[in-house]
Amino acid sequence: MASQPHALSYVGCNFLRQRLVLSTLSGRPVKIRKIRAKEESPGLRDFEASFIRLIDKVTNGSRIEINQTGTTLYYQPGLLYGGVLEHDCSPHRSIGYYLESLLCLAPFMKHPLRIVLRGVTNDQVDPSVDVLKATALPLLKKFGIDGEGFELKITRRGMPPKGGGEVIFACPVRKVLRPIQFTDPGKIKRIRGTAYSVRVSPQIANRIVDSARSILNKFIPDIYIYTDHMKGTSSGKSPGFGLSLVAETTNGTFLGAELASNPQGQGTAVLPEELGLNCAKLLLEEIYRGGCVDSTNQSLVLLLMTLGQQDVSKVLLGPLSPYTIEFLRHLRSFFQIMFKIETKPSREEPQGGEKVLMTCVGIGFSNLSKTIK
Amino acid sequence: MEEKDRKKHHKKHSGPKADKKRKRHLNDLGLGDDEDARKRNPKAFAVQSAVRMARTFHRTQDLKTKKHHIPVVDRSPLEPPPVVVVVVGPPKVGKSTLIKCLIRNFTRQKLIEIRGPVTIVSGKRRRLTIIECGCDINTMIDLAKVADLVLMLIDASFGFEMETFEFLNICQVHGFPKIMGVLTHLDTFKNNKQLKKTKKRLKHRFWTEVYPGAKLFYLSGMVHGEYQKQEIHNLGRFISVMKFRPLTWQTSHPYVLADRMEDLTNPEDVRVNPKCDRKVSLYGYLRGAYLKNKSQIHMPGVGDFAVSDVSFLPDPCELPEQQKKRSLNERDKLIYAPLSGVGGVVYDKDAVYIDLGGSHEEVRPNHELVQSLISTHSTIDVKMASSKVSLFMDSKPLGSEDVENQEFMMPKEEKQIDLKTGRVRRKAVFEEENDDGASDEEEGQDEEMSEDEMDGSEGGDGDNDVEGENDKEVPGQELGLRSAKRLKREETTEETAVELPAFADSDDDLEMRSGEEGETDLDESKEEAEDQGDEESDEKESSDSDSESSMVPTTDSGNCTAEEASESEAEGSSEEEEGSNDDSEVEESNKKGIQSAPEKNVDGVEWAVSKAVEDGDGDDDDDVENLLKEEEEYGEDNDFSVDTAGALKWKEDLTQKAAEAFLRQQQSAPNLRKLVYGTGKNPMLAEDADEEDDADEELGGLFHVSRPDKESKQKANALDCSKFPVETPQDWDLDEVMNSIQDCFVTGKWEADKDAAKLLEEDEELYGDFEDLETGVVHKGKPAAEGDEDKEGKEPKAGEEEEEKKKRMDKKRKLKEMFDAEYDEGDATYFDDLKGEMQKQAQLNRAEFEDQDDESRVQYEGFRPGMYVRIEIENIPCEFVLNFDPHYPIILGGLGNSEGNVGYVQLRLKKHRWYKKILKTRDPIIFSLGWRRFQTIPMYYIEDHNGRHRLLKYSPQHMHCGATFWGPITPQGTGFLAIQSVSGTTPDFRIAATGVVLDLDKSITVVKKLKLTGFPFKIYKNTSFIKGMFNSPLEVAKFEGAAIRTVSGIRGQIKKALRKPEGAFRATFEDKLLMSDIVFMRTWYPVSIPAFYNPVTSLLKPVGEKDTWTGMKTTGQLRHERGIRLKQNKDSLYKPIVREKKHFNKLHIPKALQKALPFKNKPKNHEKKAKPTKDQWRPAVIREPHEKKISALLTALGTVHSYKIKKAKLNHRQHLKDYLKRKHKEEEEKFKRQKEAKKKLFRIMGQKEKKKQKSSLKGSGEREK
Repeated sequence: MASQPHALSYVGCNFLRQRLVLSTLSGRPVKIRKIRAKEESPGLRDFEASFIRLIDKVTNGSRIEINQTGTTLYYQPGLLYGGVLEHDCSPHRSIGYYLESLLCLAPFMKHPLRIVLRGVTNDQVDPSVDVLKATALPLLKKFGIDGEGFELKITRRGMPPKGGGEVIFACPVRKVLRPIQFTDPGKIKRIRGTAYSVRVSPQIANRIVDSARSILNKFIPDIYIYTDHMKGTSSGKSPGFGLSLVAETTNGTFLGAELASNPQGQGTAVLPEELGLNCAKLLLEEIYRGGCVDSTNQSLVLLLMTLGQQDVSKVLLGPLSPYTIEFLRHLRSFFQIMFKIETKPSREEPQGGEKVLMTCVGIGFSNLSKTIK
Repeated sequence: MEEKDRKKHHKKHSGPKADKKRKRHLNDLGLGDDEDARKRNPKAFAVQSAVRMARTFHRTQDLKTKKHHIPVVDRSPLEPPPVVVVVVGPPKVGKSTLIKCLIRNFTRQKLIEIRGPVTIVSGKRRRLTIIECGCDINTMIDLAKVADLVLMLIDASFGFEMETFEFLNICQVHGFPKIMGVLTHLDTFKNNKQLKKTKKRLKHRFWTEVYPGAKLFYLSGMVHGEYQKQEIHNLGRFISVMKFRPLTWQTSHPYVLADRMEDLTNPEDVRVNPKCDRKVSLYGYLRGAYLKNKSQIHMPGVGDFAVSDVSFLPDPCELPEQQKKRSLNERDKLIYAPLSGVGGVVYDKDAVYIDLGGSHEEVRPNHELVQSLISTHSTIDVKMASSKVSLFMDSKPLGSEDVENQEFMMPKEEKQIDLKTGRVRRKAVFEEENDDGASDEEEGQDEEMSEDEMDGSEGGDGDNDVEGENDKEVPGQELGLRSAKRLKREETTEETAVELPAFADSDDDLEMRSGEEGETDLDESKEEAEDQGDEESDEKESSDSDSESSMVPTTDSGNCTAEEASESEAEGSSEEEEGSNDDSEVEESNKKGIQSAPEKNVDGVEWAVSKAVEDGDGDDDDDVENLLKEEEEYGEDNDFSVDTAGALKWKEDLTQKAAEAFLRQQQSAPNLRKLVYGTGKNPMLAEDADEEDDADEELGGLFHVSRPDKESKQKANALDCSKFPVETPQDWDLDEVMNSIQDCFVTGKWEADKDAAKLLEEDEELYGDFEDLETGVVHKGKPAAEGDEDKEGKEPKAGEEEEEKKKRMDKKRKLKEMFDAEYDEGDATYFDDLKGEMQKQAQLNRAEFEDQDDESRVQYEGFRPGMYVRIEIENIPCEFVLNFDPHYPIILGGLGNSEGNVGYVQLRLKKHRWYKKILKTRDPIIFSLGWRRFQTIPMYYIEDHNGRHRLLKYSPQHMHCGATFWGPITPQGTGFLAIQSVSGTTPDFRIAATGVVLDLDKSITVVKKLKLTGFPFKIYKNTSFIKGMFNSPLEVAKFEGAAIRTVSGIRGQIKKALRKPEGAFRATFEDKLLMSDIVFMRTWYPVSIPAFYNPVTSLLKPVGEKDTWTGMKTTGQLRHERGIRLKQNKDSLYKPIVREKKHFNKLHIPKALQKALPFKNKPKNHEKKAKPTKDQWRPAVIREPHEKKISALLTALGTVHSYKIKKAKLNHRQHLKDYLKRKHKEEEEKFKRQKEAKKKLFRIMGQKEKKKQKSSLKGSGEREK
């Protein structure tokens, strides 16, 4: 018997997505124990269950075993299948939570993925679909994932707590990825953004835009922030508003920042002006951190570098986020790959904080699901 | 005789001599010394036809593009592994002789018996691994997968044999390696002509199989049982200059052709259970791709395993140093074949062994050293662990060796001095290495030691206390231990230097030094021993390594960061806090002073040792002082945390301020790496730590005495979010803060080489004056600073000149770049661009890790091809060791991601046209796919036009078909072959089918046809009630709307179930049915494939029976063996078809209709005629003989008469013909005559007429006259 490779075992529900995604890509089973074992309500939450269901949808032949209390999860991955799918995401987490993992998996399906995700499009916890659309998609393009069937469309906006948003994500399949040498972020040439508001006064979006511009104009004149006021069915079930900003550089780096209003009935009301200011400042923070990839997409870029051919890939990042650090460890245990990590001391001229140069040799991954004729 | 043998003179056709001759000849013709023909005879090369020119151009372009391959990144290693040369051929063809001759040719050594692969150095840049391939099809398949070059031996006196063709076909499937044919037994031909003919015949057949023009080598005869020297030499030359094409499978998978095997199983386990699973280490050159530690491998003939450890060893058969000479030194002509017992020096992970040959074993030398050496050797061969224990027994420390060692190490040591800290304790490196060797043996003590350490750690900082305790407890084995080390060290004298770094550890450094002093201070040695224990435990967890500069503090710092990181991330990966290494800026991190209490145990021990050292020797006092100072620093740093928070409180802060902490830590690079990956070299340890919490505490318990469980758990269940929130936002209203990112924008300052303004300036300088035509403004270049020069005088002139020069050079460079850009990129095609890109990538790949030492390179890249590696594998079946036969190749094939999994594999398959039978669905068959050979049960199918996969009972005779089986997932596009059985030999061709993998899936789509039949029991117009097709209304409900059909072709549809007869339904048809009609429905039933996957474990069979593996038998075989005849279904027997004559009734036309019909169509009433009446009926006439005679005469007369008449008629006809002929002739003559006459007449008439005219013309005149 081709012995089923030894299952990797973890404790706790943190980084569940990483583990399941990497397990699926590497083909190694994973076992997660003690999921919220000591809490009042032990076991997997709604949104995690929904995520597992999503993984089950996009794969074929995976085996998922969850014990009765939901504190132990065993996942034996199947092959990525794809196709035209629909998924109702849990409103506890935004669609970004699910989409981040789908971005990792989508290029390696058997059939091109076209999935409709329903739920919360923007919230305060996860990266919103706007930011992912503006930052993650161009990133994937650098790896050769491109073409007509590559899009992320927001058809409806839904804010927490009730959601009601809808997003269509489509991605073509690739057999191999290109290695990248992405070490020069270039200089920021323009800033774009979207100020959205649903089920509130359309004026709010304008107020956000004005306040955000007031800060950003000091740095660069080329700013355009779209106001996106959704009405009727496309406005979801809960009121809310927010802003997402993206800075684009001359070399095709996209740095994103975002803020959303407090969900209805939770916390104090947020002034749109304040939100705009804070979001602009967040963008400046992101620019200060810098790198060729913004902080939310660090793990994505590292994964795609790992899954490249047996060639050297390089990328310059800002400070590594805790999530990324954990991701690097997971990459090592799933793919036996280590990154060469070098810090680049900040130069004398003011260009923000320190950068980290990540280098690795791809593992020579090839899409095992794709059919040849 | 001699005259006969003399060579005939051959004219030279090439070379300088021939050229000269040709030139002379041309000169003689008067054409010589002229330029080329094109110039001499321009008309011959002129354009004759534009169309033809276009055509030839197209053709050349076509040919050119045909040659293009998709460019791939060149990933071949700089120092390639030896080329695998597989010598293959049927038995008794001369394989072993050829190998022996080749080895002799390259190395001047004679091998008597060849077992396993033999590696030799064949040239300055090339090594060869030669291996013989027997006729077992298992071996042939395995070796075809790893071969770079195949020497295919063919017995010319016999011709091609099946094995040859089988091997060729195997090669074709698994990527085609270079194949060179070698014809042997040519001396059997007495007749020269026949020999020539045979050669030609064989050559052409060989060409059709390989490629036209493939090299076929002739070995003409034997001299003293060997091939002719010159021919072997030529063959060797061919081999050593041959170029190889990269094969897809080989370049994408790491593999090792093992040339050495050792059993590392604990002998006690074997004693208890002789059939226990074994732990084995295998050695060989790594080929193909990068090998990662802990990855999955497959051993063909054994099974799948996970690599438990990999380490690289110094190359046993090194390429010579770069040298100018063309040929190799005798010294460099190495040979390495441990399985054949050749090579002399055998490298191990931690020692080097010298083979003394069999002769030494009988006479035991007195010398203790040698004696122990021999014992070492034997132990390694048999059982490692036990041998080492035995080692200690009868050896004693040798002072002289110490001295030697010290001398040897000195240079090394000097290199390692760290200027900043002045810690020169690198001497220890050697000792350490030895310790390491010894360490394994000391397993028994291990636990004790660790306990000691525990005590130490609990005791806090009290170094001395610990020391004291240890002193008491240390068992008195150090002496033995030491001597063993010494022994080994002596053996390794040369190699140690290379190997050392692998085991350098800070603790050892100290200890080593003390050892070196060779001072017999008892206390010291005790401490040492204790330290060793310490190290052992370390090393078990993390096989560390490292470069010269790793020192005590390094370890410590590594620990703290690791600890911190792991805690903060709540990953239970901090098992091996100890095993660290690492170069460079460790001090920084130390100063940061993040110290952890748990580390103390280690520190404690170290300090104790260092103090002891201080006592012992005077030389190193300074160092020790330094050390101590540092320790004090540590102490101070620690004090804070220890005092305030007790054992573990210091960690609380960290978790909360994780983001801050790591931002701070990024200040130094190695810290970041440690932060991420911890200090363990062993990548899997982290995960092991995760794997079992309980085991965790047991195993590494001593190093993390107590982890703050609560915190870690909390972290483990924290929010899973990829966002990186800003913890301490900066005040963006402040100018300084704003300025800090000012240059990130296009509006900010640019780097010198990119700033537009600057570039513009430069351009200006470059081009000098120009006039803007649009505006009419004239720009002037700078006048070359003439005025300045004058003013400033000569002093600055020198500097300026230099500047000028630089500027000029810059200018030149720029111009050249522009020129290049203009002219080179102009005609660059897409292909060129792609190639350039690949080349760039290849360069980058090579350059990226070039400057790093192997230890760290291995971590990032994995083990790169060309390295000599030692691979440890656990849980190997004992038969592998017990039935080990070096004649069979052992291959370790690396598996890619999820290639170790199983699933359904879809193939495109074609029965081999030389295989005599067709293949039956569900008959088990053996596949060779990827690295694997396995038996499985395939299902054959064919794809219908609508994409449906329809099951076939048998594979088609001459067509491709699909096949699906349950088996290991192998990348698409991989070739495979199938054979019915690997055991025994048959005269027939054994390869049953070949093909390629198309798709991998976890479910299958193969269906077979199922026809459901039913019968009408009630028929209305177009509606009928059908019964007998289903058994219940529920079944009917499932098929509502399905299309049905009668045998006669009337189509219909199922409507609804009926209540009364169970399973009957109403259906509508396009026409009315008959009660005799049969209604049927075509359905497709998915078939299931048995999940049967049985690897061929031929290597586990006993020696001599390795080619007798049999797996599952086919039903046909079983039936045949047991004599069970198949019971035929009576209905499926063929019977003769009897067709009864069809009888048709008469056409009956009703009377009314008859009346209405027109007469023409009316049935005519032919009344039956009555019987002829008597008068109508006439009797027969019977003649009398006389009458008969008369009538006979009359007939005879009549005949004669009729003959006469006939003759007369004929005559008459002849006459008539003649007459007509004659008449015709006459007529013609007459006509002729008349024509003549007419002619005459007309002439006369014409003349008359002329005359008349003349006369008339004249006449008028005359008349007028």
